[in-house]
Amino acid sequence: MTTPAVSCRKITVRFATPSGGAHTVIGDISLDVEDGTFVAIVGPSGCGKSTLLNLVAGLLQPQLGDIAIFGEPLTGINRHAGYLFQQDALLPWRTVLDNVMLGLVFRGVPRDEATQRARQWIARVGLTGFEDRFPHLLSGGMRKRAAIAQSWIVDPRILLMDEPFSALDVQTRQVMETELLDLWQESRRTVLFITHDLEEAIALADRVVVLSAGPAARIKGDYPVALARPRDVAEIRLDPEFVELYRQIWADLRDEVRQSQAQGFR
Amino acid sequence: MRMSRLIDDGTSVAVTSAKPRLSLVTALQILVFVVLVAAWQLGAALGWIDPFFFSRPSDIAAKIGEWLVTGYLWPHLAVTLTEALLAFVIGTVSGVACGLAFARIELLAAVFDPYIRILNALPRVILAPILILWFGLGMASKVALGVTLVFFIVFFNTFQGIREVDPVVRNNARMLQASDRQLLRHVYLPSAMAWIFSSLHTSIGFALVGAVVGEYIGAARGIGYVVAQAQGVFDTTSVFAGLILTSAVVLVIDLGIHRLERHLLRWRPRI
Ligand SMILES: Nc1ncnc2c1ncn2[C@@H]1O[C@H](COP(=O)(O)OP(=O)(O)OP(=O)(O)O)[C@@H](O)[C@H]1O
Ligand SMILES: [Mg+2]
Repeated sequence: MTTPAVSCRKITVRFATPSGGAHTVIGDISLDVEDGTFVAIVGPSGCGKSTLLNLVAGLLQPQLGDIAIFGEPLTGINRHAGYLFQQDALLPWRTVLDNVMLGLVFRGVPRDEATQRARQWIARVGLTGFEDRFPHLLSGGMRKRAAIAQSWIVDPRILLMDEPFSALDVQTRQVMETELLDLWQESRRTVLFITHDLEEAIALADRVVVLSAGPAARIKGDYPVALARPRDVAEIRLDPEFVELYRQIWADLRDEVRQSQAQGFR
Repeated sequence: MRMSRLIDDGTSVAVTSAKPRLSLVTALQILVFVVLVAAWQLGAALGWIDPFFFSRPSDIAAKIGEWLVTGYLWPHLAVTLTEALLAFVIGTVSGVACGLAFARIELLAAVFDPYIRILNALPRVILAPILILWFGLGMASKVALGVTLVFFIVFFNTFQGIREVDPVVRNNARMLQASDRQLLRHVYLPSAMAWIFSSLHTSIGFALVGAVVGEYIGAARGIGYVVAQAQGVFDTTSVFAGLILTSAVVLVIDLGIHRLERHLLRWRPRI
């Protein structure tokens, strides 16, 4: 067996509560992700999905447990990972072009080359003509696309994506999902993709991991998705295999969502 | 208010700024000026205002005209402006540098916090005689006084600006593998820029206050000296003329800062 791209061993994360207590968000999670797989993570709102991604990114250290990236213990920022944040994360004082080429500039790539490669990526995410706009002059979907180009241009071996499409309308969303699968098909990077949409998770991923409702979220279910590739994100939802898988996973997820709602969306 | 305006080719576009029309504002501003000056002149003519204490606009205008013709004021103005600009530049650069250092190094901020507060609470104008003692009657003491005024304003604003950096944007840059220096240049400084600029408008005025007050207390040249001399012989007209010319110059400098600000902060949403 090859070394996994991401390996989490018995991880626990606690935050301090405003009242001075401790709030366990992630309780004893172990998760291995093989290199080159597309893993979707689903779970009720507030269960700790973003927290899990922050751990793998190296932005947050667990109170207990270890994380290894390609077999090496993670200390500090994960140098192999690109992170597409749930919130707007473009630098507001940089134009689309400057934002997209930022990762290359930080790595010391010459400006000409960086500009040229950034233009190619801007074209790939369909933002040609908007290179000189500042982020506040773009729509939410355009900002997301710029952010995708920004995180993919440096070709990270692991891609962390936190609900990248949840703010988009259904049509744009399908276009972007198709785009994402095409990009992934070419590069076959390891992807950790968070979504609250189970259909999206199954349509895109090789594997769907279900987190339980917090506090102390655990892995409730772990399902391989053996649907054939390349996939058509719209058609695949009608596939009997897809429907069966959806039914199975939803049974798991539904309980957790209900429990999370019963706790009143803390 | 109109919610759209015409661009160059005649197309109507939405207005995303709630500012009233510029020409209207300018017209009203001029009107306020004219009314005030007319009231002052009229008040002096009718004896409501004692010209001995308040002078009159016509006298002040005549005095300014006289100075411009004879060139009497230029050397003094040049001295004052040099002092103010030096204080402004030194105070701003050191304020930004210290603000950055303090915002980035927790220990430094924690240790020096009470001392900075005490220094800032000190009435700086009282320092003027001591500074003149230390640095002499020349320009250095005036620059020093201006620096003590400018530094703290810029320092506090830079510090705050750095602290207000959006953590998501900062983490994004870190994930893209920005080094500490690159973080400073690409994230912290641009983000703090809005705060720094708002302090510059205030501090250019304070740099001038430092220079003029310093000269007023002890100098042989400069606007403060001219004003002190005129006051000594109860020449209120010269006092007003000196003050008005000085603030006119500051206004021009501030306009320059404003232009620069508009350019450097053009990325900000204007709604
Ligand atoms: N820095 C923090 N300090 C304290 N508590 C935090 C912090 N970050 C997250 N939490 C808490 O951890 C829990 C999980 O947060 P997280 O953002 O990981 O949820 P999520 O699963 O991503 O939710 P969503 O689907 O709504 O994005 C929440 O209860 C949240 O209040
Ligand atoms: Mg989240």
